[in-house]
Amino acid sequence: MNKWWWLLLIVLCWAGAGFAIFGVSADQNRADTLLPRKTDRIVSMAPNLTEILFALGLDEKVVAVSNNSDYPPQAAHRNKAGTFWQPNIEAVIAAKPDLVITLGFSQQKNLAQRLKRIGYNSLTLNIEKVSELFEAIKKIGEATGRQWQASILVADIRKKLDSLSSLVGTDDRVRVLYVVQREPLRVAGRDTFINEMIELAGGENAIGTTVHKYPPIGTEQVIACSPEVIIEPVMGQNHPTGQKDRAIQYWSRFKNVPAARDGRVYVIDGDTVSRLGPRLYEGTEKIARCLRPELFTN
Amino acid sequence: MTNLLTARKLAARIALAFVVLVVVMFVCSLIGAESISLKAVFGRAGSQQTVNTDYEIFVHVRVPRIILACLVGAALACSGVVFQALLRNPLADPYILGISSGAGLGAIIAVISGFTWTLWGRSPIAVFAFAGALGTVWLVWFIGRFTGRSHVTGLLLAGVVVNAFFSSVIMFLTSIAKSDRVFSTIFWLMGNMTEEDFFVLWVGAGCVVAGVLALFYISPQLNAISFSEDDARTMGVNTARTQMLAFAIAAAITAVAVSLSGLIGFVGLVIPHAVRLVFGPDHRQLLPLSAIIGGAFLVAADTIARIIVAPAQLPVGVITAIVGGPFFLVLLVKYTHKVGWLGK
Amino acid sequence: MSIIKVSSLSFRYSDVEVLRDLSFEVQAQSFLTIAGPNGAGKSTLLNLLCRTLRPKSGSVSIDSIAIDSYSTKALARKVAVVRQEFIPVFGFTVVETVSMARTPYLDAFGFETNADRKIVADALEMTDTAQFASRALAELSAGERQRVFIARALAQDTAILLLDEPTSFLDLKHQVGIYDLLKRLQLEKAKTIVAVTHDINLAAQYCDEALLIGADNSYHIGKARDVFSPQQIEKVFSVRAFAGRVGQEKFFLPLGKFAKDTGIITTDSNSSRQK
Repeated sequence: MNKWWWLLLIVLCWAGAGFAIFGVSADQNRADTLLPRKTDRIVSMAPNLTEILFALGLDEKVVAVSNNSDYPPQAAHRNKAGTFWQPNIEAVIAAKPDLVITLGFSQQKNLAQRLKRIGYNSLTLNIEKVSELFEAIKKIGEATGRQWQASILVADIRKKLDSLSSLVGTDDRVRVLYVVQREPLRVAGRDTFINEMIELAGGENAIGTTVHKYPPIGTEQVIACSPEVIIEPVMGQNHPTGQKDRAIQYWSRFKNVPAARDGRVYVIDGDTVSRLGPRLYEGTEKIARCLRPELFTN
Repeated sequence: MTNLLTARKLAARIALAFVVLVVVMFVCSLIGAESISLKAVFGRAGSQQTVNTDYEIFVHVRVPRIILACLVGAALACSGVVFQALLRNPLADPYILGISSGAGLGAIIAVISGFTWTLWGRSPIAVFAFAGALGTVWLVWFIGRFTGRSHVTGLLLAGVVVNAFFSSVIMFLTSIAKSDRVFSTIFWLMGNMTEEDFFVLWVGAGCVVAGVLALFYISPQLNAISFSEDDARTMGVNTARTQMLAFAIAAAITAVAVSLSGLIGFVGLVIPHAVRLVFGPDHRQLLPLSAIIGGAFLVAADTIARIIVAPAQLPVGVITAIVGGPFFLVLLVKYTHKVGWLGK
Repeated sequence: MSIIKVSSLSFRYSDVEVLRDLSFEVQAQSFLTIAGPNGAGKSTLLNLLCRTLRPKSGSVSIDSIAIDSYSTKALARKVAVVRQEFIPVFGFTVVETVSMARTPYLDAFGFETNADRKIVADALEMTDTAQFASRALAELSAGERQRVFIARALAQDTAILLLDEPTSFLDLKHQVGIYDLLKRLQLEKAKTIVAVTHDINLAAQYCDEALLIGADNSYHIGKARDVFSPQQIEKVFSVRAFAGRVGQEKFFLPLGKFAKDTGIITTDSNSSRQK
C-alpha cells in the first residue's frame, strides 16, 4: 500500500512544482478594466456588436467580424472570425486585434477568457435587455474613445423610443404573440427583450410568465391567450411574401383566435427585431405598425 | 519462445510508437484553419510594432491544444484498456460505469446554478464535471459491492442503473433550464478541445503519466484478471486490491480527461482493440502502446475536426465516432475470427 | 508427512450445509481422488483447499501452517489449481497463458527471467503443448486446452496440484492422457495431486487414496479398493452398480431399471467383492 501513497505524493509535488513554475492565471472575473490601450484593430464576435461599432463610426477599425454580421453591408466584407456559436480563435488572432468584443454567453465568454490568457485585450458584454444595450454602447464608447458618439447614439435611440411611446399611448394595449418558430411552436416570453420592444410599441405579450425565455407552447395555450395580433419574423434569405402566405395558411386553422380571425398575422424582417442593437427603434417601430397600423398613415 | 514479451522488445515498440506520436503532433501543429509557416513561427515573438501571428497561433493556440488532445487520448485509451480487463468485456469503455452521466450531471448543475466564480481561471464546469465523475464512480463501486458474489456483474448492473438514473436527471434539468445554458452544456458534453494554460496541462500530464505508469506496474496482475478472476486469485494475484486500484486509477484519469475536454467517445473503445489486434492482449504492452496511440489518434482526430468545416469546428467527438464506428466494425469481424469468442 | 491437513471443516451456502465436520490428511507426493454425487461439495472442498472460499468452521493447513496465514503470493507458490478449460475473452496465446503462472515470482518490473522462461518451456514440453506455443487458445481443441491449463499449473511450480474435474467433456484418449500426465507429475516431479472426478473407474487406476463424499455430508477416505465398494457406491450415489475386478482395482458399471443387463446385479455381484 505504501508505494501507492508515495505515488500520490509525487503527483501532488509535481502539481506544486507546476504552480511554482507557471503561476496561475489571475482570476478572470474581475471587472473588465479598460486600460487606455490603442484600439486600431477591433474584432466583433456578434452581429449586434458589429452594428454598434459601425454606428459609432468605427468602421475603418473593424478588421474582422462574426460570420453573420451582415449589417451594415460593408461589414459583410470584413474577414470572418468564426460563427456566433463557435468563434474561431485562430482567425481572431490572425487579425492581429487590439480589442476583441464578445457577448456574454459561455462560448463567447470562454473565447474572451482564452484571449485574455494569451494576452489579448477583450471586452465581454451581456446584451439581453434594452437597458443592457445602452450600457453596452456606453462601454464600447469608453473602450474605443468614442464616448461622445456613444452618448449621442443612446440619446437618439431613447428619444425615438419615447416619441413612439407617446404616439401609441399606454392604454389599449394590443395582445400580441411573437412567434419565433412554427414547428414546434415557440414564442417570445415575458423575460425577453422582444417583450420589452412589444411593450414599448404599445402592446402586451399574450403569453403570461413562463419558465423558459422562448417557451414551446401548445395549441391550447394559443387559444387560451387569445392574441389579437400574431407576428412572425422572417429570417435571413427567406422571402417575406412567401412566408406570409404560409403563415396565414398555418394560422387559418385557429379559427377561435382573434388574430387569425381578423387576419392580423404579420411577417416582418427579423434582423432588426431579433438583434438587440442600434436598430432597436426600427424594430420596435415595425412591431408598432403591426399593432396599431392606424397610427401610421403613410 | 519467440512469442514472449521481453523488456527490450517492449522498449523498442514504445520508442517506435513515441516517434509516431511526435511526428503526428508536429505535423498537426502546422495544420489548421489559418495557414502558418514553420519559418515564420521561429521568427520568434514579434516586436512591439508587429505581432508575429504565426508564432502566436502556434504557441498559444495550436501547441496547447495538441498537448491536451494527446493527454486526453492517452487517458481515455488507457482507461478503456483497464475497464475491458476488469470487466472481462471487450465492449467496455471508460464511460460504462457511469462516469459519463456523472460528469454530465456535474456539468449541467454547474451551468444551471449559474455559478460565475472560477477556480483559478478554470470554469466551474470542469471542476463540477470532475467531481461528478469521481462521485459517480464511487457510487457505482459502492452499489456494486452489495450485489451478490460476482463482482463484475454487480459493477455492470450498478453502472447501468446509475447511468439511467443520472441521464434522466440530466434530461429533466435540461428541460427546465434556460435555453442558452442548455446549449452550452450539450455543446460541452459533445467533447471539445480548447487551449488550456500551461499550468493545467502540466498538472494534467502529471496525473495521466502517473496513472499510466501505475497501471503498467500492475500489468501482470491485469493480465491474470482479464483471463479469469478465480484463476488470477490462485495464481497469487490479490484480485480485490488490484481491481480496486486499477478501477480507482482508471476512473481518476478518465475524470481528468472528461473535465478538461467533455465526453469524447470511441477512443477508449477502439484504440485498445486496435492495439490488441496487432500486439496481443499482454497488458505490459497494451497499456503503454494504447496510451501513445490513443494520444496520436486524438491529435489527428482533433486536427480533422478543426479543418474540415473551417472556420467553424466540429466537436471532436463527431470525428472519433465517424472514424471509430466503421473501424470498430472491421475490428469486430476480424476479432471474432481470431479469437472465436462468439463461437463458443 | 501430511502436506494438507483438514480438520473439522464445515461449510454452508446460505442455509444449505454442504460440508460438515470433515477431517482428513493428504500425504505428500500422493495422488488423492475426490468423488461423490453432484452437490456433495467436491468443488467446494477444492475451493476451500486453495482459499477461494473460507470455511464456516474448522481449518485447513498446508505444510503444517494454517492456510489463512499465507499471503496470496505465498499460497500461490504452494498450491496451483486447474479448473475446467474455457476460451478466455481476450486472445491470449498458449505461451502467454502458461507464463501467467509465473506472476507470483515476477520481479518488480514484471518481466520474466530466463529461469522463468525455462520453467514455462518445460511445462509446455511435459504436457505436449509446445507445438501450439504461439496459437491462441481459441484455436485449440478442448483436450489441448485442458493440457494448456495443466501446463500453467505446472509452470506455477508448486508442490500441490488441485484439479477440478480435469477430464469432463474429453474423449477417451485425452482422458487417459491427462491421467497419465498427472501420474507422471506425481512420480517424476514429486507433486501432490488432488483431483475431483466423476469417473471413479479411471481415477481408481491412478490414485493412491480416494475420498468419497456423500450428499448427506458423510465421507470415507482410504485406499480406492476399500472406499469404492458396491455398497458404498449404492449408498452414496443412490445407484446400483455392477462391480467387476480388473486386476488390482475393480470397475463399477451403474445399471438402471431399463439397462439391458440390469438383472446381473443380484447377490452374485455382491459376493464378487473379494480382497
